[in-house]
Amino acid sequence: MATVIEETTPSRVEAKSAARRRMTFAAVLIAIAVALPLIPPFNGQDYQRLLVTGALMAAYAVAFDFTAGYIDIVNFGFAAFVGIGAYTSGLLAVDLGISPWIGMVCGALVSGFVGLLTGMLTLRLRGIYAAVMAWFVGLALMGVVRNLPDITRGSLGLSVPLLLNTSDNLPYYYLVLGILLLTLVVLMAVIRSRIGLAFRAIGQNLAAAKASGINPTRFLVINFTLSCAFAGLLGGFYAHYYGILTPDLLATSHTVEVLAVAYIGGRGTLWGPAVIAFPLMVVTGLLQAQLASLPGLELVLYGLLLILVMVFRPTGFAGLVTSAANRIWRPRTDAAETAAPTA
Amino acid sequence: MTTTPAAAPTNLRRVPLAKRFLTFTWLTVGLAIAILVFYTFVQPSIVVDTLVTGGMWALLAAGLALVFGVMNIPNFAHGEFFMIGSLTAFFVFSPLQDAMFNDPAGTGLLKIVAPFPGMIAALIVGFAVGAVLEVILFRPLRKRSRDQWVMNTFLLTAGVSVVLINGDRLIFGNDFRGATRYWDVRPISILGTSVSVDRIAVFVIAMVTILLFSAFLLRTRTGRAMRAVAQDEAGAQMAGISLNRIFVLTMGLSCALAALAGASLLWLYPSYPDVGLQPLYLAWYVVILAGLGNVQGAIVGAFIVSLIQTLTVTYVGLDWIDVVPTLFIILILLFKPSGLFGSEVKGVWEQ
Repeated sequence: MATVIEETTPSRVEAKSAARRRMTFAAVLIAIAVALPLIPPFNGQDYQRLLVTGALMAAYAVAFDFTAGYIDIVNFGFAAFVGIGAYTSGLLAVDLGISPWIGMVCGALVSGFVGLLTGMLTLRLRGIYAAVMAWFVGLALMGVVRNLPDITRGSLGLSVPLLLNTSDNLPYYYLVLGILLLTLVVLMAVIRSRIGLAFRAIGQNLAAAKASGINPTRFLVINFTLSCAFAGLLGGFYAHYYGILTPDLLATSHTVEVLAVAYIGGRGTLWGPAVIAFPLMVVTGLLQAQLASLPGLELVLYGLLLILVMVFRPTGFAGLVTSAANRIWRPRTDAAETAAPTA
Repeated sequence: MTTTPAAAPTNLRRVPLAKRFLTFTWLTVGLAIAILVFYTFVQPSIVVDTLVTGGMWALLAAGLALVFGVMNIPNFAHGEFFMIGSLTAFFVFSPLQDAMFNDPAGTGLLKIVAPFPGMIAALIVGFAVGAVLEVILFRPLRKRSRDQWVMNTFLLTAGVSVVLINGDRLIFGNDFRGATRYWDVRPISILGTSVSVDRIAVFVIAMVTILLFSAFLLRTRTGRAMRAVAQDEAGAQMAGISLNRIFVLTMGLSCALAALAGASLLWLYPSYPDVGLQPLYLAWYVVILAGLGNVQGAIVGAFIVSLIQTLTVTYVGLDWIDVVPTLFIILILLFKPSGLFGSEVKGVWEQ
């Protein structure tokens, strides 16, 4: 992708109004997300459950996009890091009776630590090697979880206490929405900081970043660790929301699912994956429920969407929104500029 | 980025013979051979298992390495061609099997040749699907942009994998489709262990295919063109090689090899939607171990991975078959980040 720098250098007024538009856009989206489970078709338990999965997937995709979209390392072991967090939190609660709230944080720490080790090991390698090594680490971790039935109960599944004292989905939804916003805010803040600048420099041009004095491995490891820590935190939520853990949670297919959402949403934006996850998960959930006779249909659609995005629209959903917004609010600019983000 | 420590053959000639083989790569290969020789006398079944499964992983890994070497595509959907192959073989083989079952007396010749139509069909279907994918997916992407090509195609093939797995599930359901055996003959005794004829056949098929494949790559004009494209696309194009033709052929060939592996292993891996997962990551173990894009290295690497697997199953347990090879490969990559035979790989890299 060509690095699209604001080539027209919009005036300060314009930049300010653009920032205001972005804030309004975000506020509207958050308001919709908060109000949605109260509005009729969505106020039933089934729909709320779908919304919880949507918010959880949104948060996964944000954490995933933080590495994939900014430093161009695709963490193919992502699901394994979610799994580490989930199992850490779950086992702490089951074996030591530690509160799930503390467990979730411990899960994030352990996951982050394993991410740190993995990162130090793999991130000196070139892009594809790093991705594949993360995948191997994920496979190995899944094997370990499956092969230690004395500790993890293996594929029988580990029953885990729930986070809240209720089976109502609504409080869980607001909780996971909070976690999603926390993830978004923290990761966006990092991206806007000096560290984030280094991430983007590395992601766009490794050689140039090196030449300007950035130690790539260090920043790659920081990014990877942070992403894995959030994956662990989300894993903790997963564990204490569903109440059952199986090694299948760590499977590669889950990573691919998160990856699909992240890329369909738009790589390197964080908000794109967060927004697209909701409709995607709700629609696929409904498809799954309606078309039980056609197993796998929703995943076929997922895969097709991912393929379409990869081949024809690399900027994904976020790119569509951006170009539409540009078309609406900057009608007088020439055609070349509106086409720039999708070029 | 590609520093080749001992690249030019002229340099090699000055290095003493003993020193030339005292590299990490040759030590690993030597160690593997030594272990095999050792077990030939101690526990021959390990050697037999290693060679038999190694042959199949070599087929898979050679295809994977070829596609990476020529087209720079790290194929995440390679396992799905294994699945397509086994599915095709099932649909061709099972009517024949029924025919043999209904008329056991009059089908002497059929008993011997029955598995082959399925394998040939798998080759054809695998080739066709691979070629179609190249035309409808990779070619448009190549036209649009070659930025970050390796990573983009990796993700693209991840999407292809999801579609193929779930498409299979959608059309054929979650059933296991297999055959108990291909050849209903008594096992043969080799090195004191009895080996089923199917296993031997699989090994022979793998070896013959690899030989033909190598001959194709090394001796024919098209094979030479393929290697030329792998070395230098622009140069090959200047010499009048049609890139599109080579790409279609490469993708098709690679997928055909994977499909053949699936078809030959129908009795071991019955076809179901995600049967390709294990073959996929095994093939990836091999190519990462050998160095991405190195076809010959992949063939050697397949036997090394197979040896590690066999030893793991024998001494650690079947459950750890994924964990131990992973640790081993991580260890190797710490010493040789570009794989065992990495220095010999050509350097068409994004970064």
